[in-house]
Amino acid sequence: MTEVWGQFKSFQGKKFKALDVEFTKEVSNLIGGKDLTACFQCAKCSAGCPVSDKVNIQIHEVMRMLLFGLKEVLETDMVWLCSTCYTCQERCPQGIDITDILFGLKNMAFKKGITPAGYLGARQSLYDTGRLYEPTDWERDDLGLDPVPELNIEDTKKMLNKTKLMKLEEDE
Amino acid sequence: MTQSYEVFLGCAIPSRFNNYESSMRAVAKALDIGLIDFEGASCCGTVVLKSIDESSWLSMSGRNIALAEQRGHDIVTPCNGCFGSLKDTNHVLHEDALYRAKVNAALKPLGLEYTGKTKIRHFVEVLYDLRNEIEKKIVHRLDGLKVAFHPGCHLIRPSNVAGFDNPELPRKVDELIELTGAKSVHWDMKLRCCGSPLLIASESVAVKILQEKMISANGAGANCVVTNCPACHTQFDIQQLGLKDDAGNSLELPALFVTQVLGAAMGVEPEPLGFELNRVSLDPIRDILGI
Repeated sequence: MTEVWGQFKSFQGKKFKALDVEFTKEVSNLIGGKDLTACFQCAKCSAGCPVSDKVNIQIHEVMRMLLFGLKEVLETDMVWLCSTCYTCQERCPQGIDITDILFGLKNMAFKKGITPAGYLGARQSLYDTGRLYEPTDWERDDLGLDPVPELNIEDTKKMLNKTKLMKLEEDE
Repeated sequence: MTQSYEVFLGCAIPSRFNNYESSMRAVAKALDIGLIDFEGASCCGTVVLKSIDESSWLSMSGRNIALAEQRGHDIVTPCNGCFGSLKDTNHVLHEDALYRAKVNAALKPLGLEYTGKTKIRHFVEVLYDLRNEIEKKIVHRLDGLKVAFHPGCHLIRPSNVAGFDNPELPRKVDELIELTGAKSVHWDMKLRCCGSPLLIASESVAVKILQEKMISANGAGANCVVTNCPACHTQFDIQQLGLKDDAGNSLELPALFVTQVLGAAMGVEPEPLGFELNRVSLDPIRDILGI
């Protein structure tokens, strides 16, 4: 794979610096992160994952990296190739909200500029129009559907300014 | 009127699958379900915005819920993505006082407040409640229709948030489909994600997942795929066009919305069912559908 967001491809030959306890704590404080440290590496998450056979680093390995406080996890392809299907979270015998943790990792990676380009366009569109896609009016006319109700875009912009959606990137 | 809801369409349906909306409205009319237009709705935020920034996602989604709450209505949506996003937001805001305060601070200048009174339902949940009524209205049996039903992820998982059906053995929508005389076939890859959310990150991975699903559906002897979600349908009715296995054999199967199947069997007039907008050819099942 050549995607820039999948730079960490293998553990082979990798040397890691001291384990970063703060990073593990930071992830534990994410939405869904509270039971992170209960992971005992049964790998049931990876067994049911639709992309296990398509990624370099699988989801149970991501969980291990989080426990070891390895920030390199943000550079694994698993982060952005998670399809958010929630199978791992549904099945985790320790009740860990694995998929929700991955959403938090995506947020962290996005701040560092590690993200597929499509997400940048999606953010712009959500901010500018409040939508991801525009209605196809000729189809609606043909089917006798009324126009999609109007959206006051100033309202959503006001809100997204407050959450700093367009200023998420961390300064280097 | 059985019940009334504000109908949350999201972005994908008005953009790509207007036949889902019109068939939903036709079926709702036949069952006397009241659908009120959702004024002022933005995108639900969906997994896209949740992936970028959870605070923005909770605010955007929380605003939509608060709008319906202000008008005293419950919400129904025919989209798994919107269902998941709205239910998940409800779940987080209910559990986490800190995020609730944050979202309400963002909503206050808009004159809105989230308190959590509004119920959020998927359209198929409402249909399941009315299954006895539906059964009475079947006038055109769809015997011979062998359905690979794809429930989609966010309708059933995580089950503590979705709260609809058994996450490992969902049967409710299958029951609805079988009221028509159609058979919901067992297929190994039924519960697997369709891959649609990955189209934004890696189209090749998304299509690989679709290929695995379609090999399974074909192998199980299905003659169509049925969904209840426009995001999943993007895979089954757009990406599926011309899809082949590695040996070059066609994997194409017609893709229908559950509301088109029910509408056809309930004798709803054909125009609003919008079959002419289905992209993968319906020829193999045209006779069964009576179109």
